[in-house]
Amino acid sequence: MRAWTKLRAQATRLSAVALFALAPVILVPVMASPATAQDAYDADPLEEINRAVYDFNRVLDGLLLKPAAMIYRGVLPEEVRDGIRNALDNLQGPVILANDLMQGEFGRAQVTAERFAINTTVGVLGIFDAASRYGRPRHQEDFGQTLGTWGVGDAPYLLLPVLGPSNPRDLTGLLVDSFVIDPWTHIARANDADWFTYTRFGLNFVDTRSRNIEALDDIERNQIDPYSFIRTTWRQRRANDVRNGRPAPGP
Amino acid sequence: MRRLLLKITILAAALFMLPAVPPAMAETPKGLVEQLGDKAIRQLTGDMPRSERESRFQNLLSSGFDVDAIGRFTLGRYWNQASPAEQQEYLKLFEKFIVQAYAARFAEYAGEQFRVVSDRADGEVTLVQSQIFKPGSQPARVDWRVRTTSGQPKIVDVVVEGVSMAVTQRSEFAAVIQRSGGRVAGLIRALRDKTGG
Repeated sequence: MRAWTKLRAQATRLSAVALFALAPVILVPVMASPATAQDAYDADPLEEINRAVYDFNRVLDGLLLKPAAMIYRGVLPEEVRDGIRNALDNLQGPVILANDLMQGEFGRAQVTAERFAINTTVGVLGIFDAASRYGRPRHQEDFGQTLGTWGVGDAPYLLLPVLGPSNPRDLTGLLVDSFVIDPWTHIARANDADWFTYTRFGLNFVDTRSRNIEALDDIERNQIDPYSFIRTTWRQRRANDVRNGRPAPGP
Repeated sequence: MRRLLLKITILAAALFMLPAVPPAMAETPKGLVEQLGDKAIRQLTGDMPRSERESRFQNLLSSGFDVDAIGRFTLGRYWNQASPAEQQEYLKLFEKFIVQAYAARFAEYAGEQFRVVSDRADGEVTLVQSQIFKPGSQPARVDWRVRTTSGQPKIVDVVVEGVSMAVTQRSEFAAVIQRSGGRVAGLIRALRDKTGG
């Protein structure tokens, strides 16, 4: 129990530090609002650094991550990988629920709570997504989206080593989700079972990468500037997620 | 006499059918999207040689889309900076690039169902919302922006789960132009290299 409290304090401090360190970066772009939609999607003040990180990520991906994803996909049958994916998604339930609530989306919060109850029991620890068959389809939420609904903008674009596309808002969201809201990390730490957290993170990473092998190959092969293509599609997709899929005012 | 009558009947029938026969697409934005979505799923998916898929895609593209308008939009503020010769070459390469980049993406699809959900007109542009269903996964939302000029609807943008193809291509082209010193010639060179022409 002492360890639990200590970790909580640590995690809270960590995210507070992150918030503080990033606050100027978050606030400046909000004040300097872009003139047109074109500028909004093209603005990339950190482009030189981001492109360097992009090259670094490509090398790392080619040497390590993509081969690992291909082995993972080659060794495990689809049913097993889908079960792993479902279980990982189910573990994300509490984080999704907390963010549904913070966004005032109570209908969606109820769906999330029911999904978690159904899939943890009937779905055997989340391995089977039984809830979808009972008319409760999956949706995703995170603290980055919650900040988005509170009016925090998505600039400047930030390409993170290993983790990929982000921005100060979504990076903050990721830290808050992982170290503050997520209960499993705390429970694992309190029981000296950090292996659980690492395994979960590693599996999540490899599984996600294995589901994007063709898509990323396609972008690298067919686009003339994959870096900016990924940047723009990712930004639009995040904006869409913040709106929960409601259509945007068009150009 | 009977044969003459038969001939006249056939002729009359043919005349009545004439308006439906030409390959012109539907007259409403919704009808256009429905036809095109149907054709795309029937003609572009499954196994076939690359060149075959590309030529079918090319046909659908030129019958349902306002390719020149999309091309101009995609060049954004650089359209006016380009010389007329550059504009012409760019539009040609743009179409080729779109065919090569996007036709192959239909190869992955199989067993999809396509349904138009709603349409809402706003001036000359109509937003047609559709969904693509695949067994065992959640439906994907695809929105179509259709502009009707002189009674002829043409698609000007496709938005998949909030990601606009036109906005995405414009952003990519702008990045290429900026990185070649703000000159459209840099983009044209890149497109030429990519499309092999």
